[in-house]
Amino acid sequence: MSMFYIHQSVCVSAQKTNGVIDLDDIQPIKDNKLQAIEPNYDAIPPAMYRRMGRAVRLASGAALPLLNTLTFNGIVMGTANGGLEDCIKFLNQIVDYNEGKLTPTNFVQSTTNAIASQLAFFSANKGYNNTHVHRGLAFENAALDVGMMLNEFPDNSYLLGGIDEISAYQYNIESLANMYKKEVVLNTELYNSKTAGCIPGDGCAMFAVNKQKTGATAKLKAIGTLHTDKEEDVTQYLKHFIEKNVKDDALNLFLSGENGDSRYLPYYNACKKIVLNVKTEGFKHLCGEYATASSFALWLACYKIKSNNLKNVLIYNNFRGKQHSFMLVGDV
Amino acid sequence: MSRIFVTGIGIISPLGDTLSLNHTALKQGHCGISTLELIHSNFAGKLPVGEIKTETQVFKEKLKVKETGYTRNSLLALHAFIDAINDSKLSNKEIASYDTALIGANSVGGMCLTDELYKDANSKSEASEYLSSYDGGSVTLAMQERYGMRGIIDTINTACSSSANSIMYGARLIQNGLAKRAIVGGSDSLAKYTINGFNSLYILSDEICRPFDSERKGLNLAEGAAFLVLESEETVDNKKVYAELTGYCNANDAFHPSSISENADGPFLAMQGALQKANLQPGQIDFINTHGTATENNDEAESTAMIRLFEKVPAFASTKSNTGHTLGAAGAIEAVYSILNLINQEIYQSLQYKNPIPKTSLVPVTAYTKMPINHVLSNSFGFGGNCSSLIFSKA
Repeated sequence: MSMFYIHQSVCVSAQKTNGVIDLDDIQPIKDNKLQAIEPNYDAIPPAMYRRMGRAVRLASGAALPLLNTLTFNGIVMGTANGGLEDCIKFLNQIVDYNEGKLTPTNFVQSTTNAIASQLAFFSANKGYNNTHVHRGLAFENAALDVGMMLNEFPDNSYLLGGIDEISAYQYNIESLANMYKKEVVLNTELYNSKTAGCIPGDGCAMFAVNKQKTGATAKLKAIGTLHTDKEEDVTQYLKHFIEKNVKDDALNLFLSGENGDSRYLPYYNACKKIVLNVKTEGFKHLCGEYATASSFALWLACYKIKSNNLKNVLIYNNFRGKQHSFMLVGDV
Repeated sequence: MSRIFVTGIGIISPLGDTLSLNHTALKQGHCGISTLELIHSNFAGKLPVGEIKTETQVFKEKLKVKETGYTRNSLLALHAFIDAINDSKLSNKEIASYDTALIGANSVGGMCLTDELYKDANSKSEASEYLSSYDGGSVTLAMQERYGMRGIIDTINTACSSSANSIMYGARLIQNGLAKRAIVGGSDSLAKYTINGFNSLYILSDEICRPFDSERKGLNLAEGAAFLVLESEETVDNKKVYAELTGYCNANDAFHPSSISENADGPFLAMQGALQKANLQPGQIDFINTHGTATENNDEAESTAMIRLFEKVPAFASTKSNTGHTLGAAGAIEAVYSILNLINQEIYQSLQYKNPIPKTSLVPVTAYTKMPINHVLSNSFGFGGNCSSLIFSKA
């Protein structure tokens, strides 16, 4: 199935990706996290803004410039956890007030579909509206959903987004699960780290996509996902993916989702061997690790294709060694 | 585009843990709503809910779950999933094949473990075994891992319309050539989290719910799961076929985070779009399995949408009066009930209804009725204006 063209995009991340883009001035970790720099919220009514949790806020800030200038037939988001901070705030209310009279704001904001629906309310968009929450493949499934919508309705345009937040609560849960580095590792030194754990991050990338080539920045040519913990399954899948999709076109860049966690590095190294002569770059030193970090990678691929005149960029990401994805992004 | 057939069904609800128990209960007009017992909560012993009276540990033993981190939500899903794959006689090889998709849906994920999550998130004690079980994806991943599934795997959360969307997504994967078959559905378990959430919105009824009644007082929360096996007409071969999924549509009401607009644009567009997809005229719908939660807002808005779309509103009922509202599982559970309508050519009565809503005057079916049924429309509307409708047709 052919996918779609990416026209405009907005990326809110820990780096200077929104507004004046400067990826050379690498922003450092703060409190061992790479939290997204909050965008400008002037377009959000203050009363509404006050109710928003971080995830809804970041997504709104990233999407509003697109929603205010373009028309979409639908909105599809990928987010593993949505507003988890609101969720725990409400949970804390339940416990602290012993199931008494509680205020519903956090509860309503905590549902993962609150993001896509908030964007629909902003733009009075009554079209297709879906939220994929499949952890490390939430964004990939959202992209696939949009790909299918455009296969079914080739004249349409969609807003596609990937978004996750890192809150103090999420940090606690994942730290208990040994997901984050226990020692301080600078993000500029991320790929030299030999220990387990990653640097957590968060952010949001929004894409205006359709089937029209004219005026597009890049094309998402193919997407593939796989669940496995076996290295050979991943390499076999990659070989097949390249055979099927890359054809004679040169691959200029391999964007590797390695996150400095020694436990998951073997998957990336095995894939690098298959694209041996292709330049490889990481991206998690920029955005940190989160379930929908591949949406940052897609934004980065589009940016590099345009600014460096690249032809084809292959993104490989895995989430905790179990959920793997490949995205092939090409020039127009 | 390929036609989509249902070849397997698995269901567990407050009406029973098999398809046949659910069918009998619906036929007999049985209500599965009772008082909350199994959750440690101030609401226990008071609040009417659609609770499955089986302890979580008993499910673990029954399903031979040895893995850690299985929540009640995952167990309900697995229960329905196993019945669906057995019913469709799928081999383990077919289940693990690259062209078999699994699309789950739920709204609370592992947050049914409210107290454990509270401790883990606030670092109140040693880590629990559920650190990777709180998100919605965990429920689907538990099934994926157990069966080594390699096809497209996804989890959808659009609140109360979640599993209508997972059915729709699975069908579209087949129609776009990305899968040959899709195991689709959803689950949700009762949770202190949702009980308090819905309570804070003042939409829980302290009595058994009364869909479409003028005196309705709100909804009853419930738990359950249902999975369907969808197959393309090319793969279905001479297998048993329950029904055909002919129409589906997803639309947004774009009005309010937790209520539907007076004009009910979202519900109207979802139903209208499903008819268009199925290439049917409104007059060809024989029966509507409504969303019918019995909240003040939903039943009036849904009635408005039905009146707008249908010159003559078809026979309709709400099985929420039997089960309560199973949230993310409701779309799939009610898809199963719609299929029961079709294969048995019968309508199950809406319970606890007395008087019509003054503004809309619609009267649901209140007695078990045998009648010819070719097309059933099933509605699922969720918070965030997420409205979806499905149409099942006689195969």
